[in-house]
Amino acid sequence: MKRGSLSRYIVVRVLLSIPMVLILLTLVFVLLHAAPGDPVTATVGSRLPPEEVAARKEALGLNDPIHVQYVRFIGDALRGDFGDPVTDRRSVLQIVADTAPATLELVIAGMFVAVIVGIVVGALAGRMRDSPFDVGGRFFGILIYATPLFWTALLAQLLFSVHLGWLPSSGRIGGFYAPQDITGFYVIDSIVTGNWAALESTLRYLALPAITLGLLVGGVFVRLVRVNMLQSLRADYVEAARARGVRERHVVFRHAFKNALIPVVTIMGLQFALLIGNATLTETVFSWPGIARALVDFIGARDYAAVQGIVTFIALVVVVISLLIDIVNAFIDPRVRY
Amino acid sequence: MNAEADTGAGHGTWREALRTRLRHAWRPFRQASRVSRALIFIGIAVLVFYALVALVGPSLYRFGATQYRIEVAQGQYEPIPNLAPPSATHPMGTTRDGFDVLARVIGGAELALEVMLLAVSTAMLVGVTLGLLSGYHGGRIDRTLVTIMDAVYAFPPLVLAIIISFVLAAYIEPGIVSAAGAVGIVYIPQYFRVVRNQTLAVKQEPFVEAARAIGAKSPTILGRYVFFNVVHTVPVILTLNAADAILTLAALGFLGYGVQPPTPEWGYDISQAISDVAAGIWWTAFWPGVAIVTLVTGLTLVGEGLNDVINPLLRARGASGPKVPPDRRPRRRSEQETAGDTAVSVRGLRAGYRTPDGPLWAVDDVDFDIRPGESLGLVGESGCGKSSLGRALLQIMPPGGVTRGSVRIGGDELVGAGERRLRQRRGDDMSLIFQEPMTRLDPLMRVSDHFVEMIRTHHPKTSRKQARSMARDALAQMGVPPTRADNYPHEFSGGMRQRVMIALGIVLKPRLLVADEPTTSLDVIVESQILDILDRLRGEEGAGLLLITHNLGIVAETCDRVAVMYAGRIVEIGPVDRIFRDPKHPYTQALLGSTISLETTELRSIPGYPPSLLEPPRGCRFAARCPRAMTRCSEIDPRLTRVNPGQSAACLLYPGADGDEAIAAGDGASEEETPA
Repeated sequence: MKRGSLSRYIVVRVLLSIPMVLILLTLVFVLLHAAPGDPVTATVGSRLPPEEVAARKEALGLNDPIHVQYVRFIGDALRGDFGDPVTDRRSVLQIVADTAPATLELVIAGMFVAVIVGIVVGALAGRMRDSPFDVGGRFFGILIYATPLFWTALLAQLLFSVHLGWLPSSGRIGGFYAPQDITGFYVIDSIVTGNWAALESTLRYLALPAITLGLLVGGVFVRLVRVNMLQSLRADYVEAARARGVRERHVVFRHAFKNALIPVVTIMGLQFALLIGNATLTETVFSWPGIARALVDFIGARDYAAVQGIVTFIALVVVVISLLIDIVNAFIDPRVRY
Repeated sequence: MNAEADTGAGHGTWREALRTRLRHAWRPFRQASRVSRALIFIGIAVLVFYALVALVGPSLYRFGATQYRIEVAQGQYEPIPNLAPPSATHPMGTTRDGFDVLARVIGGAELALEVMLLAVSTAMLVGVTLGLLSGYHGGRIDRTLVTIMDAVYAFPPLVLAIIISFVLAAYIEPGIVSAAGAVGIVYIPQYFRVVRNQTLAVKQEPFVEAARAIGAKSPTILGRYVFFNVVHTVPVILTLNAADAILTLAALGFLGYGVQPPTPEWGYDISQAISDVAAGIWWTAFWPGVAIVTLVTGLTLVGEGLNDVINPLLRARGASGPKVPPDRRPRRRSEQETAGDTAVSVRGLRAGYRTPDGPLWAVDDVDFDIRPGESLGLVGESGCGKSSLGRALLQIMPPGGVTRGSVRIGGDELVGAGERRLRQRRGDDMSLIFQEPMTRLDPLMRVSDHFVEMIRTHHPKTSRKQARSMARDALAQMGVPPTRADNYPHEFSGGMRQRVMIALGIVLKPRLLVADEPTTSLDVIVESQILDILDRLRGEEGAGLLLITHNLGIVAETCDRVAVMYAGRIVEIGPVDRIFRDPKHPYTQALLGSTISLETTELRSIPGYPPSLLEPPRGCRFAARCPRAMTRCSEIDPRLTRVNPGQSAACLLYPGADGDEAIAAGDGASEEETPA
């Protein structure tokens, strides 16, 4: 493959994410095995006779030396086996399949909101530096960042659902609308099956959680895009384009704006991670049946096995997203394709 | 006093150095804009307020955070009413458990500040220590730490905090320490990165290597320099992390993984108030939220303000200072004259920048003509106004730039012309080639697209295909293989990029080509190739060339005429061979003398410095440094006057420089024999 070609870059980048997977899995393992005691004792130790607890520990391989457990954990995770919870009959994989699409749908919709708000407000503020719009945009960015997500969510819920009654306050879709389960993403499923009532209901339920979640990261993007815009509007190539008589509109959009977006794409991976983390709050407020909420519940139940499985899955999602972001970045920025 | 004397001189100098560095670090604050300083001030005021609330609030306010009853008489208690709305007794109302909301908010402030301080300072200490360790030792330790930090950084921060608090709960009681641990661990990688990268960078500095070679204690040196290099970035990270810590603590509390209830904690209190909200009771959730928002805003304002102060890019702004009034025109007799067919005709041109102390004229009253096919070299010390002059010709001054006087291209006046008309001429009638080719092309655009964009802007009827073929021709003319037209800028070397820039400059056959130090950043071989190209071009295309340079050799090689600039003025102008053979102005003489001469093998430099352009001296601007200065030199401002056919100098040594008989450069040029 040609040096500098996109396909070569993708192959290299995929290979490079393998160590990242291993590191994250190790991190998860170390964190969860750092605590004293064992999951069985922690969850059901007080309710079962000691022999039963010992038998369960043996069955789960918890008596094996730590390195044997480590190798088994990594092997299982790579095969897609995330273990079995103690407090739930389903396997972790099944729980993931049940709840992950809801969270991913929420997070992607939130990212959508964040990107639109961030790019529009940020770019305009950067272009109109020190104008009232710029000051307002910056203030909005700071305020949105400073407001705890769950509080905004509660206020939005109070105003738009309880008070005005425009949008539903909790859940993922209205009672009888659930579309046929194909991907688990209701938006996709309802479009694929042509179920427009389901789509409308999905979007209505999605609106408040996605907007409140997205605004959080939107504030980060506003700041970033604004600064990048300031930077790229002063860049040498922008001055050179002006010296060539390029129209100001093209100077701003074709040259400055496009270059200002590169760092946004670069940090998008981290922002996805931020959204997944904060989805725990959104899902709690809006009773959204997602994986982040499930994680919080299992932590409350001290169910190590389930926690380990879900956290492992989240780690994998993080790696895959950062991989996708880097590939998108390589599409946009030719310099990345080394 | 005694202690200081004992430590001796060595210590004193070190202390002096520290003071200098700190003064240096403080300087951006004094230069900061009023907005940034206001941001920091407001933010700090908020912080001080919360610190006071946390410190003295609990002892001043009559209710405790976990107090649910009032002692009405000795041993007699009365419960505080549940969910009482705000009133005189309970300014923010009471909660479901009969706690006073204001007391909860005060208690929450205490906890939040404690956790924040502990979390952020611990994270910083750990991150800085590991960063130093990693950067200093390198090798396997470095690689391991970097991978761990990357993994921690990539992980969803809130999920990580939840897990840490979950794990920590197995060891210690949920409280300030465990909350700070869960909140703070997420921030370690940020400090680690900054410090590690700085340590790596400083380690490679020659002085550190030298110090190590002579056996100095390198960790101390390293530590000191790393400290001064990160002292700018760390405070910003610190305050932004502090803001984030408050939010994370509240989020943990909201999810039920914060401190042990009923310890007052804003996030936990809001989670307890969820059911109240649905019932229309707003005060239990509202006030803790307001507390979070204001405290975090305060911290963020400090962080943003610091960032503005420290990041010079955000600080520097163009248009500041009073507006510059229009010039009183016409200024002089010569100004109205235009000598026949010119590529560009410049009269009384001033170009400057607005500053708080009034305009700074980098170019102050300059006249010259360039004829088609002629090349004029513009030389002078750095800061003499050469580049500002080049930009003023195209009317592309940086923000805050001002031009006055007259620049005519093809008979049309550019100074004061509308932006639209100017834009149409740039790139078409006049082109500017910049000094630094590496950054002048849009990195996201193929080279050919730069051409297509420009050609079709000026000639909308040209098809893309035609434009591309024009691009290939222009590139070929510059010695760039046309097959590379579709490459991206980063795929070219510096010399090749400068060829591309020149090709862009000439593709539309401009009347005037301004080249601002086009070869300064290139090596000698590439330089001579580029100069050959420029030389060929004006012959082939008949464009006038203004070549700005500090290199007299280039002028001798490439130009027909040369203009010598000093402190914003042209002090001498004329044919290259004549000026090089017989320079008339003392500055030109000194300038030519300051280049190494093979015969004398002695390097002479001009003593002294150019004058301030904010307040230029009354008489000759070179008088203070001039070996032949006379008393009247500091009184009379000399005009360019003819000293030889075609050669003019602005110096009182020559008759006519002191007044009415002054002859403009245009006249001098027109007198010269026409080129063959």
